Amino acid sequence: MMKKLFTLSSIALLAAAGLTACDTGGGGAQPAAVSTLATGAAVSGEITFWHAYSAGGGEIKALEKTIIPNFEKLHPGVKVKAVQIPDKDMHQKLVTAAAGTSLPDVIRADIVTVPELAKIGVLTPLSEAMPDFQSWADKMFTGPLATNKYNGKLWGLPLDTNTKVVIYNDEALKANGIASVPKTMDELKAAADKVGGKYILAEGGSGAWQMLPYIWSNGGDMTDPDVKKSAGYLNGPKSVAALQLIVDLYNKKAIPGVILGGSGGTPTGDGLPKGMYPTIVDGPWTFPNMATSYPTFQPKTSPMFSGDGGSVSVVGGEDIVMTQQSKNKELGAEFIRYMLSPDAQKAMGQVGQLSAEKDMAESMASIQPYYAAFLEQLKTAKPRPATPQWAKVDDIFTKQAQLALQGKLTAQQAMDAAVAQIDPLLAQG
Amino acid sequence: MLTTGYPLVRSLQISFYKWSVLPTQASTFIGLDNYVRALADPQFWTSVVNAGVYLLMSVPATVALGLFFAVLLQKKMPGRTLFRVLFYIPVVTSWVVVSLLFKFLFTTDNGAVNWFITDFLSLSDHAVPWLEQRWTGLIAISLLGIWKNLGWCLVVFLASLGGVGEELYEAAALDGANAWHKFVHVTLPGIRGTLLFVLVLQVIGAFNVFPSVLLMTNGGPAGSTEVPLTYMYKQAFSFLDFGYGSAMSFILAIFIFVVSFAQFKFFGEKKEALR
Repeated sequence: MMKKLFTLSSIALLAAAGLTACDTGGGGAQPAAVSTLATGAAVSGEITFWHAYSAGGGEIKALEKTIIPNFEKLHPGVKVKAVQIPDKDMHQKLVTAAAGTSLPDVIRADIVTVPELAKIGVLTPLSEAMPDFQSWADKMFTGPLATNKYNGKLWGLPLDTNTKVVIYNDEALKANGIASVPKTMDELKAAADKVGGKYILAEGGSGAWQMLPYIWSNGGDMTDPDVKKSAGYLNGPKSVAALQLIVDLYNKKAIPGVILGGSGGTPTGDGLPKGMYPTIVDGPWTFPNMATSYPTFQPKTSPMFSGDGGSVSVVGGEDIVMTQQSKNKELGAEFIRYMLSPDAQKAMGQVGQLSAEKDMAESMASIQPYYAAFLEQLKTAKPRPATPQWAKVDDIFTKQAQLALQGKLTAQQAMDAAVAQIDPLLAQG
Repeated sequence: MLTTGYPLVRSLQISFYKWSVLPTQASTFIGLDNYVRALADPQFWTSVVNAGVYLLMSVPATVALGLFFAVLLQKKMPGRTLFRVLFYIPVVTSWVVVSLLFKFLFTTDNGAVNWFITDFLSLSDHAVPWLEQRWTGLIAISLLGIWKNLGWCLVVFLASLGGVGEELYEAAALDGANAWHKFVHVTLPGIRGTLLFVLVLQVIGAFNVFPSVLLMTNGGPAGSTEVPLTYMYKQAFSFLDFGYGSAMSFILAIFIFVVSFAQFKFFGEKKEALR
């Protein structure tokens, strides 16, 4: 029984311990010298590329049937092994592989994970390794590029980008008594007052990904520009007022309960075409999904609700990074260059991945008409604060925002509590 | 020994460190800091309380219903095998599949459970936000626990019931005992050992509730339905705080050990008194 007891009660640690087949003492971090990965160098051999491209929307097909074969044709004899890892498993898989020193050469990493990966020491800083780095960096929109920053270096390059805009259902708006889509936060508030008790807007959660566009558009912010402190920013009057607006809308039943994490409600991408939710704030990926499930629905777009700070949305997307462990960094760098080339960027643009390169914007807009609204919004969109502590920071913020929504704390109390927990983390860097 | 012992010792070691994910980087020994931190962490205690609530809502009902149906299905009746199979199907289905199914059933708008309550029974005129609040969320998770574990209890009880001597029931009948008396005075003492075994394992299982919570509420909103395993999982794999996760798991293991020990003690004494 004893053994059984311990076996059962340690399920979690089995997993944790299984990862750490390594020596505790360690020799201390010895950052390997950064080699120079010049462009045009002769490359050979094989690399592994991990990504979370989706199988359904044609992304994997574009990668495996078009992009990689073309790259291999350009460099005869080389091989790129692409491994798809579902988005939700990627973080855990990377952590496990880092502990087991079995990371791939090149990774398509969610932008919010790059500073963390840089901090735990698994990445090669591309800004030092690639002599042509600056020419690539100059091509990128500044928002997506900034997501690669940690400790004064840039660790990757933006591979694709996205942002969110207001997507609305015209009929549902009119059915709820609203003549035209609210353009500003004041109009949003007025609409809720006018039609009391009917949904105006749906948000699928209360994390930074959902709330920051309101905070920024209202003129608030989460942290100082250097991401050193949140005191005076996240709990400042503009930020708190933005959160208060959302809390008020929720209390007036103008926002459905899915905002508490989406566990028990209809997802926003289904509620909009069904007419349950007149407006949502979401990204370009919702269009192919809605087109498949609700072929007759015609979604319309409008910029993020504006306020004192303008109309400011949040940057999403992925960066391409190279690991420190890679045995073939020359080939890895050449593959990164190819992934950022017009050919590869256009191939991915066809299947729903927006390029983060400024001079690709025009060709992106011609690929899909609905891209235009997102490309316009990207001009002012901001990335979430780049910090290796992001997972914890976001968790704290989400919880406090939920406490405010549930009425357990005022918006000010919730953000004061969030700041008190977030600032010690930011101080650790 | 290698598969259980090594990870156990290893994670005990990790629990004393500020653990670095990369083997090439040094981990810092911090003694009992992770343990002290856990004991002072209100979210950890919320998660323990939630596991306790889950235990109270699910284990007595699971064991009682398991025993009830085991007694029914022990009797020769038409379709007995079919019913035994039906009760066991939830046990062999995947936790992931049934958790997602239950999440769907308990959806606020258009969920089957809310339809049943509001439209069919007309008990309420508004939908219950089951998975969007603490207690209703725990009720939904507990109902899944009961449904999923019932069949296992039933099968174990069935096996044990077969071992209670027929002559004891005959003797009780001669003494004029009715069905309830027979159950209390013959069946229950006859399967006491099994009952203890089932109870202890169900209690341990309740403290280790994991996939259903992760998939149905993910511990939300605001961490209000977090249970120890989901909280540890997040510490380790979301926040890379392996030392803290390991420390919490050892605190939980000690806690479970004490509770299980108390159960043995409690039932053991009762057995003596009966003799």
